[in-house]
Amino acid sequence: MKKALSLLLMAVLVISLAATAFADSDTIKIGYIGDLSQSTALWGNAGKYGALEAIEEINAAGGVLDGKMLELVPMDGKGDSADSVNALRKLITDNGIVAEIGTNFSSCNIPMASVADELKVPIIGTAASNELVTIDEQGNLHPYSFRMCFLDAYIGTVVGTYATKDLGLMKGALFTINGDTNSEAVGQFIEDAYLANGGEFVAKEQCQAGDREFRAQLAKIKKANPDIIFVVMNDYAMNATFAKQAREMGIDCMLMGHDGWDSDQLAEEAQGALDGCQYVSRIGFALPEANDFADKIVEKYGGTKETECLFGRDGVYWIVDAITRAGSADPTAIRDALEATEVYEGLIGQLVMNAETHNPVMACEVFEFSTDASGAHVKTPVKTVEAVVD
Amino acid sequence: MFLQQLITGISIGGIYALLATGYSLIYSLLDFSNWAHGEFAMLGAYVAIVFANMVGVPFLVAALLGVCGGALISFLCEKVVYRHIRSTGAPNMFLMIGAMGLSTIFQQVANLVFTGQYRSFKFKLPVSTIEIAGAYLGVLDLISLILTAVILVFLIYLINKTKFGLNVRAIACNSRAARVLGVRVDRSIASVFLLAGSLAGVAGILYGMKYNVFPTMGNIGLKAFVASVVGGLGSVPGAIVGSLLLGVLETMVSGYISSSLRDFFSFALLIVLLLVKPSGLFGVDVQDKA
Repeated sequence: MKKALSLLLMAVLVISLAATAFADSDTIKIGYIGDLSQSTALWGNAGKYGALEAIEEINAAGGVLDGKMLELVPMDGKGDSADSVNALRKLITDNGIVAEIGTNFSSCNIPMASVADELKVPIIGTAASNELVTIDEQGNLHPYSFRMCFLDAYIGTVVGTYATKDLGLMKGALFTINGDTNSEAVGQFIEDAYLANGGEFVAKEQCQAGDREFRAQLAKIKKANPDIIFVVMNDYAMNATFAKQAREMGIDCMLMGHDGWDSDQLAEEAQGALDGCQYVSRIGFALPEANDFADKIVEKYGGTKETECLFGRDGVYWIVDAITRAGSADPTAIRDALEATEVYEGLIGQLVMNAETHNPVMACEVFEFSTDASGAHVKTPVKTVEAVVD
Repeated sequence: MFLQQLITGISIGGIYALLATGYSLIYSLLDFSNWAHGEFAMLGAYVAIVFANMVGVPFLVAALLGVCGGALISFLCEKVVYRHIRSTGAPNMFLMIGAMGLSTIFQQVANLVFTGQYRSFKFKLPVSTIEIAGAYLGVLDLISLILTAVILVFLIYLINKTKFGLNVRAIACNSRAARVLGVRVDRSIASVFLLAGSLAGVAGILYGMKYNVFPTMGNIGLKAFVASVVGGLGSVPGAIVGSLLLGVLETMVSGYISSSLRDFFSFALLIVLLLVKPSGLFGVDVQDKA
């Protein structure tokens, strides 16, 4: 009896393992790392929801490679470099992912790139815009690290050039966050492009991360009387407060931002203080289908309409595109196909890829804020700036 | 420009003062710095925003509920945590460690429940200003300043002119003697936590109206704590003066030197004061803490 029971248990175990192996072979796992629980979880979760939605769509349409289903394995990187690196190792070694999407922080993706190279699984940063995400300090390419956003240098140059050449606003003020890598880097590139095109800076001020009081600096800016203030901050609440305080102090010049302004909450929070002001960003929300997708995410998962959900969605579709072209879900084959991508059409816009740098360039869109007849504070696309391909 | 910086500084200092007085009141009674005090402000603001935005009650009612929420949470912390630590006869350091634990727990809970998303009250005052001799003051700032001034005057009256205030001052001087003389010490301490929590609630709601409500907004409590040390830990008038001084100093440094050096100057002031006059500007001693 005992022997029969043991044989039965062994048989169950073998069948279970075989079933698991069979199930696994039919499932392609894609990892996602983002801040899912800390102060920037708004973006991390938006990216996760976008990726989940994309996977649902693809599976509903029959999956990839003749019916294999996709599965998203999300892991909380907490917006922290050590946690994100650990999450990536775990996803690759324990969960068997074939590719990974995220994070949106350069500080996380820079150390993650070395892990991806070591374990030979491709990763795709979303809004990680620092040059070192794909190319190390010695100038060597991280072969397994990709990104979907433009570099700080690219957006900074576009903003600085647009302000001078298109708007003709030649007396500028620059406002950045002290110690914030993205803010200071983009600010520097705006400054370079603005000066190169004949602009002049009459004020340069900084605040500290998380500040809510800008009136001390605004008093100095007001005295300098600029035509335009470049407000290089990624936090929509800080940007909205900055705009309101500027208007309260009688500063009525153009406020201009970069892709860090790309939050749907900004217009509403600013309560009309940004009317007539502009920012330059990826095309994304200028596309009706991108808005529809983001609306669907908000309706289904809650939260707010964030670009990160488009990044999450596009990351999945780009990986699926690579798998399809490679005819394989092997991580190295996916990497090769990602690198071989010339142009990828996503909801964030068209990415023109560079195989030597893994950096995309893309057309940009200028958005302008206004208050419509119903009193709603809105932003509308007003101009497309074509991609500058090296 | 100087007048503008001064007005801005006083406006910032007003918010610090609402929190700093709470730190001072609790320190005067229990000789410990309640590091969870900033989180009472944050939680009070969340209570108000839940009632105003989600339940849909009128803003003033929601604000009142938020103040009550801050007070209740502060009261419960005293009742459930601090009183038990005190009853074991543990050193005051344990109270401070307990407060740090509560601060982290409250932030994490807020993060889990409300996510890190910035919340703002649906009720908004229009972006408008009043001009005073070339300087601009927002309407919300003006309301905030008047409300803060009224509350702080009332607080000083409460401490100095009422029986409740007398009890608090008696406990601050010598809690054992006060108990022997018939003062209900635990009850008075609980009342002070209620009062401090409600002041924090007001600060949180004003901060939320001026800016946003988010899980880490209680970190402003650190500045309020510095202000209360500058003014003299344990002194309510000192906390108010310290707060205004710190607010103006921060604004002047940002305006005339560099905002990057703002915190450097704030904390340098703290260090210098601790070296030169450790009891703070109002120099309270053990006999005269509240």
